Amino acid sequence: MPGRRAVLKALAGAGTGVMMSLARHNALAAPGGGTTLPFENGERELVAFPQKRPLILLTSRPPQLETPFSVFNAGVTTPNDAFFVRYHWSGIPLSVDPQTYRLRVSGKVDSPLTFSLDELKRLGEPLDVMAVIQCSGNSRGYFVPRANGGQLANGAMGNARWTGVPLKTLLEKAGVQSGAKQVSFDGLDRPPLDGSPDFVKSLAIDHALDGEVMLAWAMNGQDLPMLNGFPLRLIVPGYYGTYWVKHVSDIQVLDTEFDGFWMSKAYRIPDNACACVEPGAAPGKTIPINRMNVRSFITSLTEGQRVPAGKETLVRGIAFDGGYGIAEVALSADGGRTWREARLGKDLGRYSFREWTTAFSPRNAGPYELKVRAVNRIGQSQPMTPLWNPMGYMRNAVETTRVLAV
Amino acid sequence: MRVLRSALMLMVLQGVTGVRALDITLPAETAAYRASPLPGYQLVRQNCLICHSAQYVQTQPPTSARGYWEATVVKMKKAFGAPFPEEDIPSMVDYLVKTYGAEH
Repeated sequence: MPGRRAVLKALAGAGTGVMMSLARHNALAAPGGGTTLPFENGERELVAFPQKRPLILLTSRPPQLETPFSVFNAGVTTPNDAFFVRYHWSGIPLSVDPQTYRLRVSGKVDSPLTFSLDELKRLGEPLDVMAVIQCSGNSRGYFVPRANGGQLANGAMGNARWTGVPLKTLLEKAGVQSGAKQVSFDGLDRPPLDGSPDFVKSLAIDHALDGEVMLAWAMNGQDLPMLNGFPLRLIVPGYYGTYWVKHVSDIQVLDTEFDGFWMSKAYRIPDNACACVEPGAAPGKTIPINRMNVRSFITSLTEGQRVPAGKETLVRGIAFDGGYGIAEVALSADGGRTWREARLGKDLGRYSFREWTTAFSPRNAGPYELKVRAVNRIGQSQPMTPLWNPMGYMRNAVETTRVLAV
Repeated sequence: MRVLRSALMLMVLQGVTGVRALDITLPAETAAYRASPLPGYQLVRQNCLICHSAQYVQTQPPTSARGYWEATVVKMKKAFGAPFPEEDIPSMVDYLVKTYGAEH
């Protein structure tokens, strides 16, 4: 129990933070209307944040925005202005000057280095990769029983072309010392109070040196939007978004297991093959969340949509996984009894959304239960019944879209 | 000539990448906690708005039980260092579960 003086002091500090924060939230609120996500208490505003079209507002401070699902039917690349936003603390950078911005690489390295954005861009031929970033808690709102945390529908994901430099290039330049175990990543965002655990993530040294983990300054050929990490973010292809540290400014090579709050206490999943427990049960032994599982969605039809009976309707959607690549997508029009293989679209890389299409020809008028299921190149697929964990992470059940043939 | 020199100066200032400084202004925060005669209402306004907007609470499933609110308020203090006194916790939890949770 802190003394009264300590509390008062902390409150005074906090008060300053609130004032600054309120002063910066001026009256640009766009009355973009609202939407209702398909679970209890799913009413949301649509609000346009800087560099963004109106998106589904989860929280204002810090900004957390979800992509309206219709965006995923407009193309396999998610536009920057529609890309979801997730932050942990309200002390987010609102002003960044790339001329003074620096990235520091230190810790267990031979020569600690500091890079300007220009220096990073001159390190070599830029690397380009199409990769999906998905929030660990994407689709949490669909958990039954409900799981607490950010109540998201399916829009906390996006697919972009990231341009940058491999992390390996920087680490090798600095000279990783023997005995290095992990690498930690911190960005310019900060907690509003001293004493709260800063958002810092870590990767195993081998992962950090795999040549695929990269630092990106561009997204779909443009500078990163501020809310997606301007001027530089960590890209961890195949891994959940929690590792894709934004505004990254400090990289440390460690000879120990990093034990910060956001690795040792948060973003942890049950330590078993399904990352699941019986609905309602405690998680037991846990490990840090890591690679994404297989998912697929119908994007061209929405729940309750009418389609012509006796005619062919083209059904389109997307599938992705944690980086093995999608091998097969199948559609069922009878609630999962029979399946028909869909045609896969262009392969944009094993970390990208993969488009799929197939024909749906309802013979008779009436309701149809469409289900889509993907399989990746190592045979992993999606469960028919949702798996459950108390944190509401990693939903990947076979999704159902009910349509009415008329 | 002057135009050219200005353009060159600008390029120098911006470095080779030409990436300019970026400033954004966030939209107004509109969410507010639901008014209540419960003593926890004022405490929640005072203690929770320091760090985050009200939607963190408003959007939780209405089935959220007292144990969830209790654990969350304690987490805000113990793990996240929120500077409210221990004695505020019972009233805050009571307001939260009765306004946004299973006891509504």
